Amino acid sequence: MSSREMILANIRKNTQTKYEKPDYRSIEEHAIRYPDLIGQFTEVMKQMGGQAVLLQEGDDLNALIRSLYPEAKRIASTVAEVDTAFGKQTVDCGAFHPDTVAAPGDLDGTDLAIVQGRLGVCENGAVWIEQEVEQRAVYFIAEALVILLDRKALKNNMHEAYPLIETGKYGFGVFISGPSKTADIEQALVMGAHGARSVTVVLV
Amino acid sequence: MSTKHSEAAERFQKNKSLAAWHDETLWMVRAKRDKISRQLPEWEELRQMAHDIKMYSNSHLDELLTEFERNATANGAVVHWAKDAEEYCRIVHGILNDHGVHHFIKSKSMLAEECGLNDYLEEKGIEVVESDLGERILQLMHKKPSHIVLPAIHIKKEEIGELFVREMGTEPGNNDQTYLTHAARKNLRHKFIEAEAAMTGANFAVASTGECVVCTNEGNADMGTSQPKLQITAFGLEKIVPDREALGVFTRLLARSGTGQPITTYTSHYRKPRPGGELHIIIVDNGRSEILADRDHVQTLNCLRCGACMNTCPVYRRSGGYSYTYFIPGPIGINLGMLKAPEVYYDNVSACSLCHSCQNVCPAKVDLADQIYNWRQRLQQYGVASKSKKFMSDGMKQLMEHPALFNAALGVAPLANHLPRFMMYNGLNDWGKEHDMPRFAQESFNEMWKKNKIQK
Ligand code: SF4
Repeated sequence: MSSREMILANIRKNTQTKYEKPDYRSIEEHAIRYPDLIGQFTEVMKQMGGQAVLLQEGDDLNALIRSLYPEAKRIASTVAEVDTAFGKQTVDCGAFHPDTVAAPGDLDGTDLAIVQGRLGVCENGAVWIEQEVEQRAVYFIAEALVILLDRKALKNNMHEAYPLIETGKYGFGVFISGPSKTADIEQALVMGAHGARSVTVVLV
Repeated sequence: MSTKHSEAAERFQKNKSLAAWHDETLWMVRAKRDKISRQLPEWEELRQMAHDIKMYSNSHLDELLTEFERNATANGAVVHWAKDAEEYCRIVHGILNDHGVHHFIKSKSMLAEECGLNDYLEEKGIEVVESDLGERILQLMHKKPSHIVLPAIHIKKEEIGELFVREMGTEPGNNDQTYLTHAARKNLRHKFIEAEAAMTGANFAVASTGECVVCTNEGNADMGTSQPKLQITAFGLEKIVPDREALGVFTRLLARSGTGQPITTYTSHYRKPRPGGELHIIIVDNGRSEILADRDHVQTLNCLRCGACMNTCPVYRRSGGYSYTYFIPGPIGINLGMLKAPEVYYDNVSACSLCHSCQNVCPAKVDLADQIYNWRQRLQQYGVASKSKKFMSDGMKQLMEHPALFNAALGVAPLANHLPRFMMYNGLNDWGKEHDMPRFAQESFNEMWKKNKIQK
């Protein structure tokens, strides 16, 4: 008998009481909601060590990004243009597309990556990112991350978010909430363990 | 009369400042958990839902695991099944061997710890690099984790500073946490890039999509799996959840319970291999399917490995992870050790004051303390001398005979007489200060009584 068959047989033999699958609706209905989604999201991003910036009418997105990360030289971008509340804007401060490198390790040394978020969650600052380029490393290896997110794509809680996410053709997606962090040395919080040291979500 | 646990606990208490720091720091993590859980009015309902989902999924493992396998295979992953630790190690090694891997980068996996994977691979000449900062520190120190979520909680920064001078060429005497963390970041970057394969555990495996979900704060799982194109993900079979809606429940509880954060920084969903790469998924049993038969202890399979029961446990906080003989310490570790090999790990059941705080904080409502009580009643089965059994249950007996004492406060004098010396640290009165605390659950007491589990 293969291990697979053995394990499954053992499970069938040993399973005692069978419990019904619970109805998720009760918790989905009772889950927290926020009257001011943008306000709450901005607040919780701070708590997670990142920041949210609301694009204002007349703002030039590229100038805004440059003002947020004036030191960034090597900039990767997966976004060419974005629909904002005030019309389309092209994203042209990205010097290169991440898929132009030969190996993912070549992305080491990227100062800033500009990527697209699909939805944001107000209870925890998590932004869903669906892999859109072949070099998945771009979402993690850059020193700083700017996530462009539709201000209308804010959800109250994870129950609202999960039915909407997709993993797309690359079969990968990730909720990112703020910068990479660790407290492994005496519980002192340090940003930038392995991933981005700084994360800004621009609500467009 | 003492047990291996109480002896080790006394040793831990000898370093007074570290012991006090350990206790206070973990209590602070517990307090963060309290604060953040109170921000959600639906918290208790959420815990109940997590419990109910786990009761469902762990009683439908055959269906859910085969559904997972079907979907994962359709996604292009290769699914393996390992009945025990040996087979799991053999499968991992086989995959690495087939691909000529010499450098292997891992993100934190308690399963790998359980199965002794690193030693196995290193004996066969494969360099294994732990990428979680705490795990990496311990690996370089040749030490084991003392907590499942905060693995290096027992190590002081001075020791880490010295270690990094040797291992990473940092400035001697600079023990600043930010400096040291960023030195490790730089050092490990090279390890990520030169690795030929990356491994992760999984917090959840989703039957309906065939994807594995990994939660980290550091981003180390993603750094690993986005460099080499060969990925191995392994999980214990109880990690299966039915669908993404279930993830909605668990991701809300995990980090809030474990570290008091609203969510981990990264919640990664691995569904397909990278273009031109391979994704191998190993489903591991290693004794789990046997636990299903044990009605009294089956709920240990509900555990999310969040660490909250350790943070809250007055005994764990004051005795440290190394005082337990099983590799997982604290309330959940006491129970898992007994399920693994009671004749080897029975000492740990003494490491419990039966304050029930663990099961009051557990996000999946595992009945941790009831289970420990139950083990104590069964100790004679494993040839434990009656004297040592008496030592272990004296505190409990006192409670049974005078339940009002417990209700009044934990720090009452008569009870203190029955506690091992190490627990007297700082007086016992700070137990009483612990809000949200450990009432001796009248209900569960009565329940136990009814079930005739309490033998006078
Ligand atoms: S038993 Fe509960 S509290 Fe303890 S680690 Fe598991 S899920 Fe967390």
